Amino acid sequence: MLEGYLKKRIPDAEKLVGELRKYYDYVSVLGNYVKTKQIVVSTHSNSIDEVDNECGFVIKVYKDGRYAEYSCNDIRGLKAKDVIKAVRLDDVVSGDFKVAMLEEKEHTEDYLREDPSDLSDRQITDLLNKTRKQLEESDDRVINVMTRYSCRQTSKIFVSEKKQLSQKYDWVNVVLLTVVREGDVIKSNYHAEGEADSALALKKFAEDAPGVLDIALKMLKAKPVKPGKYTIITDPSISGLIAHEAFGHGVEMDMFVKNRAKAIDYVGKYVASSLVDMYDGAASCLSAASYFFDDDGVEAHSTQIIKKGILQTGISDCLSAMELGTEPTGNGRRQDYQRKVYTRMTNTWFGPGKDKYEDMIRSVKHGYLLCQTNNGMEDPKNWQIQCTASYGLEIKDGEFTGEMIAPVVISGYVIDLLSSISMVSEEVTVHGSGMCGKGHKEWVYVSDGGPYLKAEAKLG
Amino acid sequence: MMKKREIIACLKANEKISDYELSIVQKDSRELFYVLDHLEINRAVKIEDITVKVYVSDQKKTGVSTVIVTAADDEKSLNVKLKKAVTKAKAAGNEYYPLPEKTVNLKTKPSAKRDLNMIAVKAAKAVFKADHYRNGWINSTEIFVSELHREFLNSKGIDHQSEEFRIEIECIPTWSNKKEEYELYKFYESGKIDYRKITEEIDEILNMAKARSKALTLKDIELPKDLKVLVKGDMRDEIVWNLASDLSYANVYMKQNHYQKGDVLSENPFDLTMRAQVAGCSRSRRFDDHGVVLSSRKLIDKGIVRNSYGDIRFGYYLKEKKISGRLPVCVVKGEGTPYRKGPHLVIENFSAPQLESDSGYWGGEVRLARYFDGKKYIPLTGFSIAGEIYEDLKHVEFSKEQDSSPSYQGPKYLIFKGVKIS
Repeated sequence: MLEGYLKKRIPDAEKLVGELRKYYDYVSVLGNYVKTKQIVVSTHSNSIDEVDNECGFVIKVYKDGRYAEYSCNDIRGLKAKDVIKAVRLDDVVSGDFKVAMLEEKEHTEDYLREDPSDLSDRQITDLLNKTRKQLEESDDRVINVMTRYSCRQTSKIFVSEKKQLSQKYDWVNVVLLTVVREGDVIKSNYHAEGEADSALALKKFAEDAPGVLDIALKMLKAKPVKPGKYTIITDPSISGLIAHEAFGHGVEMDMFVKNRAKAIDYVGKYVASSLVDMYDGAASCLSAASYFFDDDGVEAHSTQIIKKGILQTGISDCLSAMELGTEPTGNGRRQDYQRKVYTRMTNTWFGPGKDKYEDMIRSVKHGYLLCQTNNGMEDPKNWQIQCTASYGLEIKDGEFTGEMIAPVVISGYVIDLLSSISMVSEEVTVHGSGMCGKGHKEWVYVSDGGPYLKAEAKLG
Repeated sequence: MMKKREIIACLKANEKISDYELSIVQKDSRELFYVLDHLEINRAVKIEDITVKVYVSDQKKTGVSTVIVTAADDEKSLNVKLKKAVTKAKAAGNEYYPLPEKTVNLKTKPSAKRDLNMIAVKAAKAVFKADHYRNGWINSTEIFVSELHREFLNSKGIDHQSEEFRIEIECIPTWSNKKEEYELYKFYESGKIDYRKITEEIDEILNMAKARSKALTLKDIELPKDLKVLVKGDMRDEIVWNLASDLSYANVYMKQNHYQKGDVLSENPFDLTMRAQVAGCSRSRRFDDHGVVLSSRKLIDKGIVRNSYGDIRFGYYLKEKKISGRLPVCVVKGEGTPYRKGPHLVIENFSAPQLESDSGYWGGEVRLARYFDGKKYIPLTGFSIAGEIYEDLKHVEFSKEQDSSPSYQGPKYLIFKGVKIS
């Protein structure tokens, strides 16, 4: 259920909205209460902690074509004059552009999605410990095994003149990191599960663990890739990374407002092979970024960004939608209550195709199956892309050779990469364990994924 | 929020708590968000973050659990949280380590009250002063002006305070060559108010965007083999910090280090010293997260690994006589190499500089570089560089020009040979 503290603050929020409405044309209050239990069991360190907890409020006001916000720990006893004083600017440097005011529809609703499993700390710790010991004892080259369970419980309220919303949702991540050493060569491999149910996440984690170590050990012999252009098959995590970097950041519509995204000129045009469909939205699937309403109080959406290779639309927060004259898509997100809302991705993924994975591998004359998201970077203005896979497996004449390359950086021009997609597998997997920054800050929880994709790409 | 004395009273009242740490951070900031030169939204943040670490120790084990104190807490709820934390700390015991004892308590005189709104507005004026080109402009700007008051206390009598002031500016410059627009990314961070420097740095990045708009690609030009590659800024800091981290107590203890004491790291002798406070480096701190009073520690002396550094726990495990604490600034000293006459490639701006500490892979997609062909600089874009840092450091050279960033002071450029360019 909704955190009791936030529930108690709803009347305070209503009162504050009423007081501030005497001075401003629009007022809203967002309250966040996030609790994250984290259990770490590793070779060298154990802990059961609260991490990344937050409890605070954001008051948003609008007058004379401009918005202002005040972030604080508590709203009980907060006076309208305190907010007014804090956000007042006596000497503004600004052009004369005015942003329109948010128009809201009446909406009152309470949402709930809780972890159905009720596991004790001891049960979770025992399970993590079992996996840790199993992996440590399986090979002398293992120097560190780190297992981490975290359950993030998010409660939020949104109160304005026309809206009174509350939501509580849980998300569970279980992460495994294995570090191995042979002489001076050190390699690591990780795996993360994300589920709405603790028991399911831990079950998958235990099943996947031996394979994670196996890859780490193989990485000891991995070689760097010879830079060049190759046929690649991307696993669902790398497909997701490409979706995220190529046309996730590129269609965040606050970038349209700033004229920072080339995509604005390509709506209705081909940007990818006709085999490509792509989606984003907190309601597009159940994953790490599946909330019920965003930090602007807009209900979660599912947005089809690319349909059969043609760019359909972008995603937006309220402010961007106001400035562009479009409908907000429920993508207004803050890192926490101390930060501003930006247009942010949620669950971003490529849709399924009709090819079989085995056929895709068989079709490769010489190339690599690229696996395991490492990191990525976008360039929405100039459509350069950079994605790093933790490793790649060589394929020659349709068969794996047993050779591994690591790490692998995919780079190039977004349209070239997406247009080269020639096969798309049937099944989609979305990985609910990622975080994403905007530029180099503003971290939010996201997921991404897709099917296996066959494409041509520059590797380095 | 609960008062400090109320929290300490709760901690002292719980007999099962062996030790505790209490960290209080008060933040007051003003923020301006611009689209072009239009102020879209301004923000004020006035908050207090309170974190308590509860330790339960015996002679063999130390267990710790973190409690976040929120505005929702009162004495009753905090006592419940502390009781749970004791259970968690007991369940998650680690090899014993002590907390630091009090040596000297650090205090700072409260600084004169700053008008954060006014500083933010003046910073905005300084940014837009550079925005005067016909074909180039600033697409978006975010300005953060913050004051932080930190307090750190533990059950051993440590009671430190510090004040921090910071201006951070994120800026996206764009340049049009009439066919296409090109942008770059700039993040400015400083602990000092220097409006002239802000204008200079924004002007510099605008001119880099201009260079990118005229840049050639590798299809247009053939680069000589074994070209010297110069890296600066984030990539340089990443490389130096990776080296320092490799020598951290934690990595040494966990055998995840590539270097040992006595290793000759480079044929070009250089020094790497971790320091607490360096003028111009805004990450400077007087004490670390465990309250250890920080000074300095030379990790590499004339190219030879001499020391490790880091926090008390792993330092204690390694039986270090004098534990350095987690020092926040890397200072590098190395003899400057004359590189200007011969061909070289200066990497000005990456999409995202990458360094993978296990494999040593470093590099990334380059948004802007300047290639010196022996006569003139030619801007280049749209290519990648890749190296293996543990190999490349063996032959690293340094520029004579010096530079500093929030957590680095030393040569402006690290100079490498044999880096793959594709």
